[in-house]
Amino acid sequence: MHVKHTRLAAAVATALVALFALPAGAGAAKVTVLGSGSSAIQPYLEVLFKGYKKVEPNVNFVYNANNGNAGVKDVQAGRSAFALQTRPPVPSDTGTTYTKLFLDGLCIAVNPANKLTNLPISTVKDIYTTNTTDWSGVPGSGLSTTISVFGRFPTAGLYTFFQSAVLGGASPGTNVTPLDKDGEVAVAVKGNANAIGYVGLANSRPGSGVKRLNLNGQPCQASAIKTLKYPLSRYAWFVLPTNNPSRIAQRFGDWIRASYDAGVIVDKAGAVPIYNATKKPKAKKKK
Amino acid sequence: MEPEAHHTQGPRRIGPDQRAELLLGALACAVLLFVALFVAFVVREAWPSFAANGLHWFSSGGSVDKQIQAIFTSGQQLAEPVYTFHAWPMIWGTLLVTGGAVLLSFISALFVAVFVVEFAPEWMRRILEPIIRLLASVPSVIFGLVGVLVLVPFIRAHVITESARSHVAYIVSLNGYSLLAGVLILSLMIAPLMIAVFADGLRSVPRGWLEGALGLGINRWRTFWKIGVRTARPALVAGTVLATARGLGEAVMLAMVSGGAGFAPNPADGWTFFVEPVRPFAVTILQTSEELTAPPMRHTIFAIASVLLLSAMFLSFAGWAAKQPMKKYGVRA
Repeated sequence: MHVKHTRLAAAVATALVALFALPAGAGAAKVTVLGSGSSAIQPYLEVLFKGYKKVEPNVNFVYNANNGNAGVKDVQAGRSAFALQTRPPVPSDTGTTYTKLFLDGLCIAVNPANKLTNLPISTVKDIYTTNTTDWSGVPGSGLSTTISVFGRFPTAGLYTFFQSAVLGGASPGTNVTPLDKDGEVAVAVKGNANAIGYVGLANSRPGSGVKRLNLNGQPCQASAIKTLKYPLSRYAWFVLPTNNPSRIAQRFGDWIRASYDAGVIVDKAGAVPIYNATKKPKAKKKK
Repeated sequence: MEPEAHHTQGPRRIGPDQRAELLLGALACAVLLFVALFVAFVVREAWPSFAANGLHWFSSGGSVDKQIQAIFTSGQQLAEPVYTFHAWPMIWGTLLVTGGAVLLSFISALFVAVFVVEFAPEWMRRILEPIIRLLASVPSVIFGLVGVLVLVPFIRAHVITESARSHVAYIVSLNGYSLLAGVLILSLMIAPLMIAVFADGLRSVPRGWLEGALGLGINRWRTFWKIGVRTARPALVAGTVLATARGLGEAVMLAMVSGGAGFAPNPADGWTFFVEPVRPFAVTILQTSEELTAPPMRHTIFAIASVLLLSAMFLSFAGWAAKQPMKKYGVRA
């Protein structure tokens, strides 16, 4: 059996592809599936869409990064087949089903000109609640200028997560400049030596022009997020309507959550797969 | 009715001309009806917010952003709806941004229009006019992009001083997203509109009036200023009203450059006032529309919308009223 290892795997893969592709590919040519939601998850989704082309080549995804809370409302109204969210469900999310996909981290980012490498989470809270307004009040920053604090609008899932995880439910101070998208915060921090902001893992990766800080000594990296040691580890949630979800969207969600291939893609993109098969599929695959 | 008319014309019939007239009349009435229904719908949706706050809706008190969050969270949690809302920072922001931009662009547009119509050589006029028309039709999001990538960083680096930043650090962050950026770019957007209307008005001043003045030996500048511009005043009013309405409704560009925080810039802060962030009404609607499905938030958003709508209506009425006394010796506009 072990002799024909590769051929067997190939055969299984082909069979799986055929199995997946059949329902969608049988009658229709191209299918377009609409999704919406979190802008922090969007960078992962873009690569996952590409990877899913191998599974169902006929499915074309269109994703509108209109922020998590709006995405859930799109699902409720039937405008989107699925949504991506960065906070757990709230009571008004009626008629939707949340599933955990993978772990992501919310990084605290500063400009590379800043000498800080680590911050206690209490200091982050002080900065976002106007108790500390000057870098001279933050030991190790090497700056003595006024802090430019960037955040998100209350309609963003990241805002809700940050508010509960860092601020303990308190509102951020009026000196926090709210921006519309995750990437906009990264751009603002990149171009402003005095800035601090909270940004998803994907938009703060090395090369993005911002510097991630360790929180309570834990790095904002896959290793610490996986073990939930990093204090701002959070799940990316897949949101489907509870009644009659689109079967393609369902399959796509299952694929992200469980397949080996999606695990590799998520890992490469910087987030942390948790439920995915860790070995290449052999005889049978958990689905 | 006279019997003779009956004789000659026969029984009364509706000709094709009359039919078209009636149809157009009906259409015009339908538009009126549509506007009335539209206003009624917006005001009806807005009512719970006004009813809960009364006149305090227009006052200041607390942080407006925290109020907005409490409003839509109450809807999200399916809890008792919260309506407390004090819109003053946004009213003030709308007044500042629109007023500042209209003032700035009125002065510059008037001079440019006078130059284009009266003093520019023919070849320059042929270049300038299409460019002005083009500028008037550039989508606002492009102005916003240029603002975010060029003007905002410039203001942060060259206008805002560290002492100003630390002075207001407990209240607001100064990082280039500001009243100044909003006013400058909005003026750039609405000035071409004004120039186009002003120039049309100035061109329709009867040549005889100007030639008469020149013939009396009055110099060209004085002639044009005292007779041309004076006669064209109704056009100036019309252009200003049009441009103000566009400024009131501008959302996308201002959302990108004006700062997003629901903060009322304080003139007591001196020069810092100009670089403080603002968020006008239209931007607030744009940024909170994601929460339209939470009923208390929907009513609040519609309340904002109805104030904007009524200001626009009041504006056109004021424009009409201002033009009345000028009509006697003015051009029509």
